[in-house]
Amino acid sequence: MKNSDGQLYTIEGLAAALVMLLTAYFVINATSVYTAGDTHITDMQLEALGTDALRVMDANESRLTGSPLRNIISNVTFTDNQTFGTMFGNLINSRTNSAADHIQFSASYSYRSDLLNPVVGSMFINASRNLSGGEHAVRATKWVIANVKGDGLPGDSSYIPGFSPPQNRSVLVEVLLWRD
Amino acid sequence: MTDDTGALSIDFLVGFTIFLLAFIWVASMIPGIMVGLQSYTIDYDAVAYRTGVILVEDPGWPVSPPWESFSDFQKSNMTRFGLAVSKDTPNILSQDKVNRFFCTTFVYPDDYHTRAIFGDYPYGFNISLKDAAGEYQSVGSITPLGYGTIRRIVKIKGPSNATIGTGNYAKYPSFYNKTENVTTHVFSFLIDNPRLLDDVKNPAYQIDPAREQLTINVTDLRATITDYPTAVPPIENMTSTIELVNVRVYKKEGALYSNVPLPASEYPFVNGSSTRVTSMPVPHTDNVTIKLTPYYFDLMKAQNCQIYLALGFNVTPPSTFLNNTQALPDFNNLDAKLTFENVNTTPFNYNYEVENVTQPHLRDAVLEVAVWSGGG
Repeated sequence: MKNSDGQLYTIEGLAAALVMLLTAYFVINATSVYTAGDTHITDMQLEALGTDALRVMDANESRLTGSPLRNIISNVTFTDNQTFGTMFGNLINSRTNSAADHIQFSASYSYRSDLLNPVVGSMFINASRNLSGGEHAVRATKWVIANVKGDGLPGDSSYIPGFSPPQNRSVLVEVLLWRD
Repeated sequence: MTDDTGALSIDFLVGFTIFLLAFIWVASMIPGIMVGLQSYTIDYDAVAYRTGVILVEDPGWPVSPPWESFSDFQKSNMTRFGLAVSKDTPNILSQDKVNRFFCTTFVYPDDYHTRAIFGDYPYGFNISLKDAAGEYQSVGSITPLGYGTIRRIVKIKGPSNATIGTGNYAKYPSFYNKTENVTTHVFSFLIDNPRLLDDVKNPAYQIDPAREQLTINVTDLRATITDYPTAVPPIENMTSTIELVNVRVYKKEGALYSNVPLPASEYPFVNGSSTRVTSMPVPHTDNVTIKLTPYYFDLMKAQNCQIYLALGFNVTPPSTFLNNTQALPDFNNLDAKLTFENVNTTPFNYNYEVENVTQPHLRDAVLEVAVWSGGG
């Protein structure tokens, strides 16, 4: 016996097909996929910026002056920390033709405290904002020869803590950078 | 008995066929849709990064003579734009290269595309530079939406220069004013290239005339004339006539001196003019600026030689004047050996003495490269 149970009529078929296709089209078109490629580009840009800033800070302004970064590391005091923060912050946030950028940073350096019994120490320099742990930060580093030939007596800030006798030393300056 | 259970209806077949055709059509569009989902700036970011590296970390090509010393007519000799002082000094840019790169005589985008952006695709781009003093330079179009970019922090190496003026004359009168009242006076300079390259090795602070323009300003020429109102005729520095007769250049290679012609493109600037004089002698000269380009040093193969410059002046009426050279036998037929190896000749040494020469100085700047599609 002939009846219409289970039949799909043309008009309903067309409508269903169109609805399904349009739904699929809109869903695919509206979805924003943040690919891994995008992330590494912005990371690279931040890292290049941080590396450039450290490199520029380690360059003497003239043959007769010292490198600002080296001077800061050699005499780390509260004032020098502020100087680093101001210089580094200005460099990474400066732009050519628009308002300043909003890149945050946290800087420190690592050193070996003793030649005979080396212990790796770390000193915080300055940060534009405290790290909360949720930031997607990239790292920029620069080896700096710190001129730490102070006498090591109390009150002399021109040597790396725990290092005796004071003398020139390679320290690794490390800066974490991220965007708000 | 005929049983049609399980048979497909025509309606269903038609509908399903249309659905399949539409599905295939949509499926064929999916790759194109995915292109839109991916970052369309990835390529532009990469090109911007590459251009940033070329500009900031590379001195360009050719290196010697440097590309920036070629004129617009010699543009075909410029293979690659690079702004770094040398390949060993990334992020330190040469002021001469920066000035030439942002000059208005290059054609956007063609001249830049083939020498800095590269690739067959007609990218649009904007390259801008701002230094710590706020001086802004750029080339390119206004950036549209969806462009790739890179920002580089750099230092710009300012050129060295020497300015000789009343301060010098007052401090060392016997050095700058060696003669009595005569008409012809000669003032000479020594550019000791081997010493310049040897005393400072770091290209960031080196004075290298073969790579960077060298500038010497001789100012306040009238101040070197001593007034003698009772003389006949009376000598008064405000009324005396000063004529720049000529500029002669000598190259010392080993123990041999050779006279090198000064091309018109290297003629001096006088009286603060922004253009070089077209001929000499130059009457009524109050101050002289010598600017020697790296191209000239390359032309005379003087990268490793001592160069002597002698400025000849005629002063009327005869008087004292700027003079540190005993020109033998005379300025127009000057014997370089007798003249420059003479105890009465003490040429002004263009060297690393801060008292004589303003040393190269680095200043902060930021460079941005933006790249997008289209070339517009």
